[in-house]
Amino acid sequence: MSLHRRALLTGALGAAAAGLLSGCGGKDLDDLLAQAATVPRKPARLTWWVSEIPSRRGAVVADLIIRAFERRHPRIRVSKINALSTSDGNRSAIATQLAGGSPQPDVYLGDTTWPAQFGHSALALPVEKLLPDGFWDSYPQALRSGSTYRGSVYAVPFFTDSTYLFYRKDLLAKHGLRVPRSWEELLHTSRTVQRAGDTEAGFLWQAAVTESLTANVTEFLADAGAAVLDERGGPALGGAEAERAFSLMAEFTSRGVTPRTVATYQESDSQDAFVNGRGLFLRNWSYAWVNASTPQVSRVAGKIGAVPRPGFEGTGRSGVSCAGGWSNFVNPSSQELGAAMEFARFCASGEVQRLLAREAGVVPAMTSVLDGPEARAAGDPTVLRAADLTLVSRPVQTPYYPQVSKALYTPANAVVRGSLSPADGVRAAREGLRTALEGKAL
Amino acid sequence: MSSVLHRKTARTPSTGDGGGPVTGRSAPPDSVARRRARAGWLFASPALLVVAAVTVFPVLFSLVLSFSEVRLEYGGLRLGSPTLAHYEALLTHSEWYRALAFTLGFTVVSVFVELVLGTLVALVLERLGAARGWILALLLLPWALINVIAAQLWSYLFNGTYGAVGWLCEQVFGTRPDILGEPLPAMAAMVVVDVWKTTPFVAIVVLAGLMLIPGDVYEAAEIDGASAWTTFWKVTLPQLRPIIAIAVLFRILQAFGIFDLPFVLTQGGPGTATQSVAILGYRILFQNLDFGGGAAVAVTTAAIVLGCCLLFLRVFRAQADEGGRA
Repeated sequence: MSLHRRALLTGALGAAAAGLLSGCGGKDLDDLLAQAATVPRKPARLTWWVSEIPSRRGAVVADLIIRAFERRHPRIRVSKINALSTSDGNRSAIATQLAGGSPQPDVYLGDTTWPAQFGHSALALPVEKLLPDGFWDSYPQALRSGSTYRGSVYAVPFFTDSTYLFYRKDLLAKHGLRVPRSWEELLHTSRTVQRAGDTEAGFLWQAAVTESLTANVTEFLADAGAAVLDERGGPALGGAEAERAFSLMAEFTSRGVTPRTVATYQESDSQDAFVNGRGLFLRNWSYAWVNASTPQVSRVAGKIGAVPRPGFEGTGRSGVSCAGGWSNFVNPSSQELGAAMEFARFCASGEVQRLLAREAGVVPAMTSVLDGPEARAAGDPTVLRAADLTLVSRPVQTPYYPQVSKALYTPANAVVRGSLSPADGVRAAREGLRTALEGKAL
Repeated sequence: MSSVLHRKTARTPSTGDGGGPVTGRSAPPDSVARRRARAGWLFASPALLVVAAVTVFPVLFSLVLSFSEVRLEYGGLRLGSPTLAHYEALLTHSEWYRALAFTLGFTVVSVFVELVLGTLVALVLERLGAARGWILALLLLPWALINVIAAQLWSYLFNGTYGAVGWLCEQVFGTRPDILGEPLPAMAAMVVVDVWKTTPFVAIVVLAGLMLIPGDVYEAAEIDGASAWTTFWKVTLPQLRPIIAIAVLFRILQAFGIFDLPFVLTQGGPGTATQSVAILGYRILFQNLDFGGGAAVAVTTAAIVLGCCLLFLRVFRAQADEGGRA
């Protein structure tokens, strides 16, 4: 029987080796780009990996887009693969599939923080040469820079997300207070309304040890005039400006304006607290407007407003927002590269962008659509005021962005909890950034 | 086929009286056994292939990945030259040791508490009459819940803003603690949830062991005048040893791989206080897209768990032998 056992073992090892080899098929990039440059005339089938796009009127937005595309390209059929709505969950699922060389999905919707990492790992096709001249004139510069890694663009714009300060109109009116124009004023306003017993929390935001906190930190740093990375991609964090940003985060909790539990809050937690009437102000992404304005899920529907975030007194800077959102990526292993690229371009076109303004609870990426008739008809302030924002990019132009992000959010979380001083927090973050950028962080 | 069989049997050394030639008509018993075994392997081979595909291949692949330079290229991942770099990076990084310390601490504390509580519950259940079935069913509810759902339910209870646990603390102590926002309370919360969920499993396993202890040993202890406490330590517990060993082994294996509780409750925070090795492995593999590094975490974790289990079994066997000699 030993012979048979050996044979079985050999078979298993052979299968393992075959499996290993099957994933190893280097392809020439020029060939891939040549294939992607031509829209096929023969029938083709595409798969689109897409998470649920928030809807204004109940329609399934992805289906509307697919139908519109198929009308324009009757020979190309598109099937939808429902993806998770969280960025991390989505990345886990798609990255392993792509790394195995799977030809599906042909096009996938990915976070705007992914391009450098996915480009570096050859999980996305560089699309710069496949876009028409002047393409980027129609989209925010921050979106382009965030999609670029080592001179190549790896994502085609779809929709953006921006952050706003949501506030309770009714409570401010009751106390005769205006919408704060600075963080200092927000602290004062919050304490006034809290002391009167009209709200539990003054300001709700996100400080859990996740990428959500990285976005918050990036914005506070930009408010103060500090940067995370320098122009060459090295660590730039430091100085009085950075300490001012970290001090503000500590002050929110130490003065009781923000509950200490904010250290465990992600977007959904802070939004839940706000729509249940527990907070006066909320920093969140634009999609929170639709949720907080829907009476079925929000106790504060009709009582809220949204404005660009305030800044620090004396800096002259306000309205800073991280450039967030989702873009389309093309799978380099797709068997239908030409059709896939055409679909990604179509999603960035005026036709789909207007459809997004009309039907979806997101901010279209195309800037000219933001003040168009569809956007005006929707009346969503997060769309109408998107042009007023100063978009800043998170430190995503590195393939080590998850490690960089962790280097920022870990000490920032400790500062918010009060277990690290702002100065020590900045030092720890800078040290962590250096290690992360060298690719030595876990 | 028959000629092949005939040739093979003819070569089989004779174990008979004179070593004469063996004919095809009267094949020896071991040849029949071989044929049967061969047929057995044949019938089992589809199942074995499935097991190989879903178990052996991933294990081997992880091992290969952990010792290889892994490059992602257009068309899929490519394995480069052999390297120890992934292990070197892991073993020289303080974060891995912190994650290991948390995982070990969590495993030791939660398994110990579950064992004590599970044994107590089993002792009570054994003495119950008709109600045992109902109470057993109720006790099994937490165990039957899907881990992620249980964790999500507890995250609502622990929520610092509207959680019932915080509210209760406020009513009793006058202050609302931030349970998941501070390192020690967050670790304790995780142990509480695990104990709540897994104690019924230990109780049922121990109860099965208790039912197997013959009644006459208790009668003998009673005749000898042993107290209830002495009977438990000198009679019940030694008899339960094998079953407790199985329960502990299962629990160590499960507790060491803890992922869903920290993932849902704390995302490994605050800071990295509740980051288990499984969470660290997930981050390295799925967030950093470092396939070699992630595989190295998986392999080292498996090796440590295997080592712990073997050590436990050895200690357990040594104690059992000592008990037998005594």
